[in-house]
Amino acid sequence: MFLLVCSHTNEAGTRGLSRAPLICGGLAVREAKRWALRVNGADRAVQGEPHVPLLHFLRNDLALNSPKFGCGLGQCGACTVLIDGVAARACAVPVRLAEGRDIVTLEGLAAAGPDPLQVAFVRAQAAQCGYCIAGMIMTAKAFLAVRPDPSEAEVREALRYNLCRCGTHVEIVRAVLLAAEIARADAAAS
Amino acid sequence: MSAPPASRRALLRRGGIIAVVEPRKGAREDDVDIHVCLTAEGRVFAFSGHVDLGTGIRTALAQMVAEELDFPFAAVEMALGDTAETPDQGPTIASETIQVTSRAMRIAATQIRAALLARAASALQCDVAALTLAAGVLSSASGDAVDLSALLANERILLPLAPEAEFKPVERHSLIGTAVPRVDIPAKVEGGFVYVHDVRVPGMLHGRVVRPPYSGLDGGDFVGRSLISVDRLSVADVPGVRAVVVEGDFVGVVAEREEQAAEAALKLKAQWRDFRPPDLSDVAQAIRAHPATPRVLLEKGDVERALGRLETRLDRTYVWPYQMHGSIGPSCAVADFRADGLTVWTGSQNPHRLLKDLALLTGLAPERIEIIRHEAAGCYGRNGADDVAADAALLSKAVGAPVRVQLTREQEHLWEPKGAAQLMEIKGGLGVGATLKAYDFHTWYPSNDAPTLALLLTGRLPNTPSALKMGDRTALPAYDYENMRLTAYDMAPIVRASWMRGVSAMPNVFAHESYIDELAHEAGVDPVEFRLAHIDDERAADLVRATAERAGWTPRTAPRGEGEILRGRGFAQARYVHGNWPGVGAAWSAWVADVAVNRATGEVTVSRVVVGQDTGMMVNPAGVAHQIHGNVLQSTSRVLREEVTFSETTAVASRDWGGYPVLTFPELPAIDVLLVDRQSEPPLGAGESASVPSAAAIANAVFDATGVRFREMPLTPERVLAGLAGAPLAKPAKRETPKTRWRGLGAALAGAASFAAVSFAIAPAMAPIARPDPATWSAATIEHGRQLAALGACATCHTAKDGVAYAGGLALETPFGVVTTTNITPDVETGIGAWSYPAFARAMRDGLHRDGRHLYPAFPYPSFAKTSDADLQALYAFLMAQPAVRQRNVASRLTFPFNLRPLMAGWNLLFNRQRDIAPDPARSAEWNRGRYLVDGLGHCGACHTPRNLLGAERAGAYLAGGVAEGWEAPALTGASLGPIPWSEAEFYRYLKTGASQYHGAASGPMAPVVAELRALPDVDIRAMAAYLASFSPKPPDAEARAAEIEQRTSRAANPATSPIARLYEGGCAACHETGRAAPLFNAGPALGLSSKVSAATPANFVNLLIEGAQHGIGSMPSFAAALDDGQIVDLARYVRARFAPEQPPWRDIETAAANARRR
Repeated sequence: MFLLVCSHTNEAGTRGLSRAPLICGGLAVREAKRWALRVNGADRAVQGEPHVPLLHFLRNDLALNSPKFGCGLGQCGACTVLIDGVAARACAVPVRLAEGRDIVTLEGLAAAGPDPLQVAFVRAQAAQCGYCIAGMIMTAKAFLAVRPDPSEAEVREALRYNLCRCGTHVEIVRAVLLAAEIARADAAAS
Repeated sequence: MSAPPASRRALLRRGGIIAVVEPRKGAREDDVDIHVCLTAEGRVFAFSGHVDLGTGIRTALAQMVAEELDFPFAAVEMALGDTAETPDQGPTIASETIQVTSRAMRIAATQIRAALLARAASALQCDVAALTLAAGVLSSASGDAVDLSALLANERILLPLAPEAEFKPVERHSLIGTAVPRVDIPAKVEGGFVYVHDVRVPGMLHGRVVRPPYSGLDGGDFVGRSLISVDRLSVADVPGVRAVVVEGDFVGVVAEREEQAAEAALKLKAQWRDFRPPDLSDVAQAIRAHPATPRVLLEKGDVERALGRLETRLDRTYVWPYQMHGSIGPSCAVADFRADGLTVWTGSQNPHRLLKDLALLTGLAPERIEIIRHEAAGCYGRNGADDVAADAALLSKAVGAPVRVQLTREQEHLWEPKGAAQLMEIKGGLGVGATLKAYDFHTWYPSNDAPTLALLLTGRLPNTPSALKMGDRTALPAYDYENMRLTAYDMAPIVRASWMRGVSAMPNVFAHESYIDELAHEAGVDPVEFRLAHIDDERAADLVRATAERAGWTPRTAPRGEGEILRGRGFAQARYVHGNWPGVGAAWSAWVADVAVNRATGEVTVSRVVVGQDTGMMVNPAGVAHQIHGNVLQSTSRVLREEVTFSETTAVASRDWGGYPVLTFPELPAIDVLLVDRQSEPPLGAGESASVPSAAAIANAVFDATGVRFREMPLTPERVLAGLAGAPLAKPAKRETPKTRWRGLGAALAGAASFAAVSFAIAPAMAPIARPDPATWSAATIEHGRQLAALGACATCHTAKDGVAYAGGLALETPFGVVTTTNITPDVETGIGAWSYPAFARAMRDGLHRDGRHLYPAFPYPSFAKTSDADLQALYAFLMAQPAVRQRNVASRLTFPFNLRPLMAGWNLLFNRQRDIAPDPARSAEWNRGRYLVDGLGHCGACHTPRNLLGAERAGAYLAGGVAEGWEAPALTGASLGPIPWSEAEFYRYLKTGASQYHGAASGPMAPVVAELRALPDVDIRAMAAYLASFSPKPPDAEARAAEIEQRTSRAANPATSPIARLYEGGCAACHETGRAAPLFNAGPALGLSSKVSAATPANFVNLLIEGAQHGIGSMPSFAAALDDGQIVDLARYVRARFAPEQPPWRDIETAAANARRR
């Protein structure tokens, strides 16, 4: 085995990012920028290059595990979070586009007690491996915000581009419909 | 959930326990495994070497232990899969956790219960019968509770595991047979669950691997021997890279941050030897041509003789495609290689086998390796989980720090061991009186157990793959054929393959159950009735009857399709048999499938499935139903559309969800599950059975609807359409390697001949000055200059990729050679610090360097010449106020004769004539201002006006569309090819935000231009919009037109009836499909309105696919790794035809793709 250690490892050693611009061969200069994010109601700062997907910062810097890496291409929906209340595929949203916006992950959904979707997903036992579930719930959250009383066909259509491989679809659709019911009942009660 | 509840070793050291143990395989003599352990505090720990793959066995096993022990469910804590904690019980395969593996745990629970009661009886000096144990509470006859802690205090009772035990009778079950909610779901739904992807270790670095080009092949002399070299300088500009690790064909990178590792892996240049992939254009043919060893499984009667005496002879061939697990999360692992050993966190399906692999890979003794098992994304057999664990171990060993390795989507798709293709041939038929006379069944299964990849890539294991005898599952049909011979052909894999849900049984049953349906049809008997007449297994017959009844089955003997949508119903049933031949039977399953077949498009819809299942004792009926749902949906997906595709250059070609589409929510069939009550029978595996009859049930239903038999999977619309037309499905056309073409160069050189005759004037140099003090100018002037620099987008060209602003170094490819932009920071030596204002103004207007050299008109001085003196002064002030950067200019490399700079004088005489822009009094002040901005510093025409052969803007074609850096700069006038003409409002929106709803988003060289324009005052943007819009016809009702286009190009109007349509649907539509109730934050533009799709050439579309978009208001990931060139060509063709049907097809997409890859 041979091991090539790159010549330009930053001088600070192994930890963290080099704040100083990195110059290799007099040409490449790249600077990690500081980004102010608002995540689950709290102000957070991360540092990195502008094109880096939001997903990496949420997971690796803020230790928010619920958004999952699934494809990196926006195809499967496992990384879905809310940005300003709209479903966003965090693997395909560069951090520069998320700055200053309101980001909510599954962890932040239960700020005031469990969300009706979380209650309903447990009640409907809507997970097998569960890897896609955070994305399902966040997509459903954004959808129910615009369609609080959906038909089953509308729920299925709203989840068309969220992939589940274990075949939990039946339970997931049931859970979303149940969540809508719970939310409507809660609204009527309050 | 992340850590084992208590350590085996800690339990064995403490007092106050009673445990059932067994000698630990491969360990010191006195070391034991625990199956179940009860502590004096009333906690119950149960250990299984099997793992939870998302099926809920953590819950079900705890139910069994609690039941037999008579303890509350909540008291039981499970440890699954960690090698240091749990017994080696083999891989979690064949749905055998409940049926086989759990037995030890269940016996152990009864042993502990009995021992506890005996101990209490002896302590209380009473009869065991006088004691009760319920819900974890021991009570005497008088009803007094017996203190558990006193009973077990300071004791360490280790009972050897008994071979047998009597389990609690079913009528006393209070937990088994109930739908206990799964213990893992709350954390999964709240976000607290820790998957292997979420493991973080202090000091952890991030790794990525670079896989060889022979995607998904693990046999052949090139495997492990193909790497020629790795160019480590190719990642020199990626920050944070700690190591590039190479061993044999194993290549990996380690970086401080994940995105750095990802970038380095993409950029790392490696040279590989050529290899020849197997020809998989015809899977059946490929299997036939592959060496195989026949193994006769069963011979009954005299098949040869019977075959000669049939009344109806039916010989049939069935073909199953390669399929993939397609785990939703690509595999991931963390490894920490230290001086004292190795710890690996993994989602492996078989941690104990992985441990042996890692010992071989690293040379460590097995006892120095510990594997901690976490749940991962669901796998349905052997996926990339073990591969990535070995990758992480190698990388961690190389850098001496913990390393997390995440495979990419493409790597998981390409390299996961596939579910093998399979070929089944049946010779047989009916005897006199429609008897089952002869059945000669042959099955070819090219698969093994897929050795861990790193072992092959590093040469630790030979690249000559072995065969595995696993093709015989459910090779025995359910029917009593008088004369029967079954032959399995054991063979090494063609493509890397291993077990996948319904291993070899799903294809075998597709053949058995299609064939019996054909026989029933030949006999003129209803297929259910025919089956019942020949089944000799009573439980199977009961299930067939119950399922048919539940579905409301009505007898049918002939297909009866009419109309455009043909409806049909099919039946199939089987018992999944696993393990070495003749194997162990898991649950029985029977399907009634209802389908609708669209005669026009070939689309098959499975509208309803009734599934009956006899699982024996169900530990958790809700869990069983859940598994049945999962099996029905996944197998329907496999039957209707799943098929791994191959290319002639890379072997496996399915790299993402476009290339390997799976069933989506709107396609779900209604599912009705019938669970047969057999709680007093032993439990049977439930994880795979309901997949097994799927293909035959659906194919039989399609026959019922159409009268056409389909004997090859999957039932894609194109296969069905071909079948309905009575034609075989065309095999994919062979692709030619794109050739680069050089065009137009000759013409350009011919034009240059006349050009050479023009004057050779040389301009004088202007004297250098000392760098002006920025304090000379007011802040307002510098600010104004900043806006002008933004308008001119000076930084866009005068900044190298990732370079310092204005320091130059960007290489611009022109038809005349490469022009490299120069340093325009005020550095005296390398920049323009020594330039006086007159020298600067002369350069801007006349295209002359301070020293008198001619500049090339890639620098758009003919436009800049139209700028007012006041504005040029402000721009000069701004540039002089910038930080001076010392960076030498790189010489431009132009082709002859353009490399002769003096020739530019003649060029200028010809083309740089119109200098001042006189305001047009007939137009508004705003229009005139817009013109000044657009034609002057804005230099829009430099890209958007076509150029003549000498590189000047062509007369009479103002803003009619040009090119820039390999991108097409679309027409901004009436010549625009978009379906909706530009309006003032849309120009404004586009220039302001970088996107227009009716034209799409800025990308390529336009993206940084829009970014620069943010510096401009709003009135100037409005003026530019007003001016530009004056060249377009007045738009029609844009909103109505857009709605009409979106409707016409929608998914609903364009069913996905070809592989490439499905590639679009799976790969692109998530972001680009319009009309969604809740659109995505990162929804892409409507392609029916995008100027990239209506453009004259495919350049912009293809460039965007390859490069992605990382500037401007939007973003799009690069698809360079997800799509091969062939897929890009097909996709471009498809998108053009669907979204711009009024435009002619694009030509030369191959060249555009090759050009885009080169950039």
